[in-house]
Amino acid sequence: MDVTNLFKNPVLLGYNTLFAALFILIMGYLCGGDYKTMRDAYQYYGVSFLIFGMLEGAMTASNCFMERDIKKPNLRIMYSPAGPSAVWLSKLTASFLFDYVLHCMLLAVLCPALHITLGARPLVFIALMAPIEFASAALGIFFCCVFHCEETTSTLLSTVISIFGFLGGTFFPTDGLGKTIAALSRVSPVRWLNDAFFALACDDSTQYVLPVCAAAAALSAALMIGCKLLFRTEDYL
Amino acid sequence: MDTLLTVSSLTKHFKEQQVLRGVSFDVRRGEILCILGPNGAGKSTTINIMTGTLAKSGGTITFKGVPVEKQLRSYKQSLGIVPQDITLYEELSPEKNIAFFASLYGLRGKKLRDAVDSALAFAGLEQRRHDKVKTFSGGMKRRLNIACAVAHRPELIIMDEPTVGIDPQSRNHILDSIQKLRSEGMTVIYTTHYMEEVEAIASRIIILDKGTVIAEGTTESLKESVSAERHYVIEVEENGRIPESKFYAIEGVRSAHLEGSTIRLSSVRGIENLDRIIALLTENGERIRNITSETASLETVFLKLTGRTLRD
Repeated sequence: MDVTNLFKNPVLLGYNTLFAALFILIMGYLCGGDYKTMRDAYQYYGVSFLIFGMLEGAMTASNCFMERDIKKPNLRIMYSPAGPSAVWLSKLTASFLFDYVLHCMLLAVLCPALHITLGARPLVFIALMAPIEFASAALGIFFCCVFHCEETTSTLLSTVISIFGFLGGTFFPTDGLGKTIAALSRVSPVRWLNDAFFALACDDSTQYVLPVCAAAAALSAALMIGCKLLFRTEDYL
Repeated sequence: MDTLLTVSSLTKHFKEQQVLRGVSFDVRRGEILCILGPNGAGKSTTINIMTGTLAKSGGTITFKGVPVEKQLRSYKQSLGIVPQDITLYEELSPEKNIAFFASLYGLRGKKLRDAVDSALAFAGLEQRRHDKVKTFSGGMKRRLNIACAVAHRPELIIMDEPTVGIDPQSRNHILDSIQKLRSEGMTVIYTTHYMEEVEAIASRIIILDKGTVIAEGTTESLKESVSAERHYVIEVEENGRIPESKFYAIEGVRSAHLEGSTIRLSSVRGIENLDRIIALLTENGERIRNITSETASLETVFLKLTGRTLRD
């Protein structure tokens, strides 16, 4: 039901598909001159914006968990024998599936259309997306449990993810912006993820796969424990 | 009737503010118990604690004699809750809404399909079963809101002001539906601040004010408890033959007002002497067209108990 609801949300659907595709197309086209070929530009923006989109999945989760219109019917789940934990677990799973499916579909369209490569092991690339998507969804739910409000959560997450995206090189590579920015960019998880996914896509290197999976799993577990401890049914009234 | 649910000494604080101050009542199987009170009386807080969505500060709630904490899952399975807000997925059809919420109570397959069909019939929405809820009127949404709560055939239905902001036709439909649920053996707890709804459906009433139960009983017993006098309105064909003083001469009569062909009298409860009043009229050649007895309304009851009106 939660997944169905998400797929019926035109804003979330458009953001994760059309907007993402347009962003990659426009940025690739505009910045094509900075790369050897247009194909390299699309490769860069295809992978880096996909990573940014995965992190923005946190907002999908917060939206389907505490968005005003959704919050009310969710109350009925808490009334039922399923209990309060079923609410956030269900939203976490739904937003993870929604984002993961859409991002896979996006890749399925953009890879052949813009000649974006996922490397010699495309299935590993796609599999590696899953723990990131899940951890992002858990982050969105956790923030909602902390702030008890979708608006605050979305504003905060949007700002933080945009800063990480900027530092991590989502919008343009930060390598040429001086030592300070380069040092700051190491703080951004977007940068680490860029390294991992570009290593897989461009160098066929799997060296980051296990560390990324382990970090995402540990983060997800910690966030879910936090949700279990912090979620209060009163927040839904 | 045996007791289904007992609320004892329920208290609730929100920081410094005490919202419930030892609320106690019981709910008997098969009755419609109305909780009446003005806004802010503590009705919704009581309901939210009973539904398990709000933690209580003190007191106990037992269901069939067992504290609800010790049987939370089976307690919730026995409940059907109609919250004050519309709690529906607007992008989905009523059929899908009912099916989803009923499935949370373990209904599957044919049982689920039957439950959906009967809930749609209950709400009178069979013809709109595939339309999106967002296209519905307020009254239709309210009816569907109730249907979602009763599809799994709960033993106890808790309704928190389910008729707020709807048209009279939908309100009547809902009140009729509640009576129907009761006739099917369900127990209903119904909170409202509309006295006319209470008068229409209540088996028993609890009046809540400032977080305390201030009165409990049937509509009639509550009215009688605060009414020391009985009021009569007598319509005659032609008045003016009997002076007011003659009515005052009858024992028990406290007031008499003559307004055209209408005589308004009040007399002490227990010594109304209605036969003597009628005799006085007929002996003086008055032809009585109608006699009505005006009893106290629930509004009067509330006013007498609190010094305020329900709408204050």
